[in-house]
Amino acid sequence: MPKPKITGIVHTRDSAATLEAALASLAWVDELMVVDMQSGDDSVAIAQRHGAVVHQVEIAPRIDGVRNRFTAQASGDWVLVLDSDEYLSGDAPELVQSLIADKGGSYDAFALPRYNYLGDQVMVGGGRHPDYQIRLFKKGMVLWPDAHHTLPLVTSGPGRLWEVPPSRGPHIHHRNYRDLRQLISRQLDYTLTDLYPSDPASFDFAAYLARAHQQMALRSDPETDGDLSQAMALVMAWDAVMRGLIHWDSLEPRPPLNMLDGFPRAAAQMPRWEIRLRRYLGRHLALKHLLRAVRARLRALLPKRS
Amino acid sequence: MSPNQLTVIIPSRGMLPMLEQCLAALGRSLETAGLREQSTMAVVDNATAPPLPPKRIVAAGAELLRLDAHHSFSQANNLAARRWPAANYLLLNNDVLLQPETIAEMLDLLERIPQAGICGARMVFPDGTLQHGGVVFGPGKKGPYHLLRAQPSHLMPRIDREFQAVTGACMLIRDELWQQLGGLDESYPFGLEDIDFCLRARQIGRRIFCCQGSESLHFESMTPGRVKLDVGSRELFMSRWQGRYTIDG
Repeated sequence: MPKPKITGIVHTRDSAATLEAALASLAWVDELMVVDMQSGDDSVAIAQRHGAVVHQVEIAPRIDGVRNRFTAQASGDWVLVLDSDEYLSGDAPELVQSLIADKGGSYDAFALPRYNYLGDQVMVGGGRHPDYQIRLFKKGMVLWPDAHHTLPLVTSGPGRLWEVPPSRGPHIHHRNYRDLRQLISRQLDYTLTDLYPSDPASFDFAAYLARAHQQMALRSDPETDGDLSQAMALVMAWDAVMRGLIHWDSLEPRPPLNMLDGFPRAAAQMPRWEIRLRRYLGRHLALKHLLRAVRARLRALLPKRS
Repeated sequence: MSPNQLTVIIPSRGMLPMLEQCLAALGRSLETAGLREQSTMAVVDNATAPPLPPKRIVAAGAELLRLDAHHSFSQANNLAARRWPAANYLLLNNDVLLQPETIAEMLDLLERIPQAGICGARMVFPDGTLQHGGVVFGPGKKGPYHLLRAQPSHLMPRIDREFQAVTGACMLIRDELWQQLGGLDESYPFGLEDIDFCLRARQIGRRIFCCQGSESLHFESMTPGRVKLDVGSRELFMSRWQGRYTIDG
């Protein structure tokens, strides 16, 4: 049987710092495409050095809306999509080939497990692993909706998607943040540039404080990720408080901040059942993970098919 | 001298603190040999979960090859040798702490004896008993074993000596021989692929020596699950080689 042709696609925007590793890890694919959003750094030169076909696109608010256009242009039977701050392991070529050979007849798309790095440490606690990503699929079988935080759609249905067990690999290695400083800087950037509701009557500082408590409870997992998970939890809690203050500052007229009153009310607003459920299920970062965890638990209860 | 005179390959499944000590000792040994700039220290992260921290490996002066699936010792070494070709390869376990002069002595031996294709190193356990000073072969099911293993180290003379095989825990191999034999045989689960390699080298006329000048430290079999894999390897080795090697004294 002939080996199926694989197209690798990487999306870039000022990605020079991480692109080298991403493209080097894809040196084995049959076709390499880089979709660049007007980079001002060396991204394009790096892509060309790696023999990639570079497509320039206009700057779009979300990368997901752009992905479909270029997966359709791939000449491979299979498409493998990486972000520019991700890379694959040294044994990925054989793992991907054997995955396609073993399971490609039954499935149209694979959700690959992903390791997320904060600095040098992989964060695995609290559902940060396997963090499945649908990135390897038959051409035309996956579509990305043009929206934030939405899962791509397997056009032939969820039954044709296989979540690859982490023990079988391959993983996507995702350098989320260079260090804590970069995490703080990015969060602050999102916080300062986000849009906030303009109606002073709807403002409730206690809701932000409750969110801060929630972040502390959900993100901190020192038994798995050590002090770094606590640091991350503190940053996210701080982020919630900053959002409350920025929101308040943007209102005209400013409503009372009610800080002292906000603390006890925030404690009352904590969604404890949700925190307990998410901690129990081990998936707390997003609803998609929560639903997957429920499905996996229910599946585990069913008798195994021989 | 070519830019990459030596690639040192260190497969590791976890064991980061040990690995860092191993790299520090290796760095000193390369320094003594005058090869720090013309060599590559290649760590193969053999599916550690979660992965070994890349920055710490790079900070120790090494390159990192991450493998997501657990590979055999042979596959891990072969992949790294393909990634970082060199004039010589040093296979090194992550629980070996080299003496500063060890690499220089091993390279010197290969230079002095043109027929030598492989050079091993004398190693001791932390209690000072001998871990490896050369591999010999016993009759029947006994097969290969380390000569004077766990005996006081002074019982082994301090003179470089020829053997049929040496351990792959610290084994220097010429690239030409490595290419000729196609690297380590990947059908071994874990263990004895090194002895297999030595016996295959002998079949094409290359000689194998063990340097006895310095005593490096080898903790041995520190990786969990390692011993279990050894059983399958031994069965394979004996089925292939029993009756084909020479029984030592």
